[in-house]
Amino acid sequence: MRFASLAELFVREIADWHVFDANVRVGPSGVHGELALETGELLAEMDRFGIEKALVSHWTAEEYDAREGNRLLETLGRGGRLVRAWAALPDQDSIGELVADRPRAVRLHFAAQKHNFSPAVWCSGELYAYLQDHSVLTLVTLEDIGWERLVEVLNNFSRLPILLLETGYRADRYLFPLLRRFSNLYFDTSTYVAHRQLESFVQRFGSERVVFGSRLPLYTPGAALAILASARIPDADRMKIAGENLRRLLEGARP
Amino acid sequence: MRCPIPIADCHGHLGVHPDFPAYQCTLPEMIGVMDHLNLQVLAITSTRACYTDCPAGNAEVARALEQYPARFRGYITVNPYPEGQALVELEQWKHFHWPPLIKLHPALHQYPIHGPGYRPVWDYANQTGALVLVHTWDSDPLCSPLLLLDLAREFSRTRIIIGHSGVTWRGYHQALEVATQAENTFLDLTGSQSHRTILEKMVAQVGAERILFGSDLPFLDAAITLGRVMTARISDAHKEAILRTNFLRLLGEEG
Repeated sequence: MRFASLAELFVREIADWHVFDANVRVGPSGVHGELALETGELLAEMDRFGIEKALVSHWTAEEYDAREGNRLLETLGRGGRLVRAWAALPDQDSIGELVADRPRAVRLHFAAQKHNFSPAVWCSGELYAYLQDHSVLTLVTLEDIGWERLVEVLNNFSRLPILLLETGYRADRYLFPLLRRFSNLYFDTSTYVAHRQLESFVQRFGSERVVFGSRLPLYTPGAALAILASARIPDADRMKIAGENLRRLLEGARP
Repeated sequence: MRCPIPIADCHGHLGVHPDFPAYQCTLPEMIGVMDHLNLQVLAITSTRACYTDCPAGNAEVARALEQYPARFRGYITVNPYPEGQALVELEQWKHFHWPPLIKLHPALHQYPIHGPGYRPVWDYANQTGALVLVHTWDSDPLCSPLLLLDLAREFSRTRIIIGHSGVTWRGYHQALEVATQAENTFLDLTGSQSHRTILEKMVAQVGAERILFGSDLPFLDAAITLGRVMTARISDAHKEAILRTNFLRLLGEEG
């Protein structure tokens, strides 16, 4: 060929970004079986794309049993490339386990087919209170929480760091006013994919509020990485989005 | 990030959209993004025509083609309603390209792709050997990829681009099913959902020759598809075919 391997060219550009992916799941999935990845396979896929670390939740927690999934996350070890995002429930037992095991991040699954609890404060208020008191990074998908419930949580817990996953590319008319009003709201890039949307966002809001997410193993990281790589923004902003912002949020946790 | 291969893109737009803000969508801004990514040729359809007004939208495409003849190719977008307008539009704008490039958007026009209102368009496309880009979506009664199989067989001189290849994981498999059975159908990679492994499956099942690079620029970020293709586990020769030569061949601009 008259050019280096296209995949090599791609990964070469990302090599020094120290990418920390905020939106990854591991383990077997009944719904997404063909795409699900076990730990070794996930690490190999991260290697292929130059992704250094990932904040991961477990399919078993999401699709079957939160406690079992969290136990499986424990087997990944601590201090490695995979950082655990626990599944938490709005009851005293689950909060007690958070106190005992002290994860720096949780991922909440409100949907009826998942953990089937309300994101409203009347249901999840005590859980939010613990997470806020310990600055635990709290991951939720837009599909699971919805804009109006998200506003309720933000209004009541102004120090709870919330990372909104999978906003979709039609989000800006909701997202912009919320980001202006609530300094504890962050979002990931996995589905923020409209034409020049990310670079336009950085020009308007800076790079502090957005973190890289791929949606592995469902999506190829190639898409979200290419958007970040091709964004016409300063490299310092690119580094923040690629990993620095997520590292800062996790270091801020006091579990 | 810039693609070393000049890209020929089968699926672009011109204009804005009602449900989220548009960024950098003037013609000079689009050219700037195309240059940045090395997107040499973009086939455009008017977004105005897809939403609300085909005659006005096609006139916008005509002006873009006059202004940037080397960079854009123009689809004529037609709507089954008002009755008779489609053939008038096809006649009026036949100088865009020959054989004609035709865009059908059954979802936004709210009319089934196999309904009688589209018959005159399919007859025209078959007589002229047109290239017809059809918006598709997983299992949609108006535009499921599966609806294209009978049309591809009946109008066998028409070359049908399965727009977005059905979008979802299941939609992609529907598109693959059609492409496997009808040689005059082509798989378009345009879309916001970047399913892992699907491109490799498409190449294995139908071959790289009938897979086309598409971006949706300036609706979606062209880097999505660029990242997917560059990092796929397929040969660089196949990547070059997908990024460039397949669509040029369909346009009759090879070599």
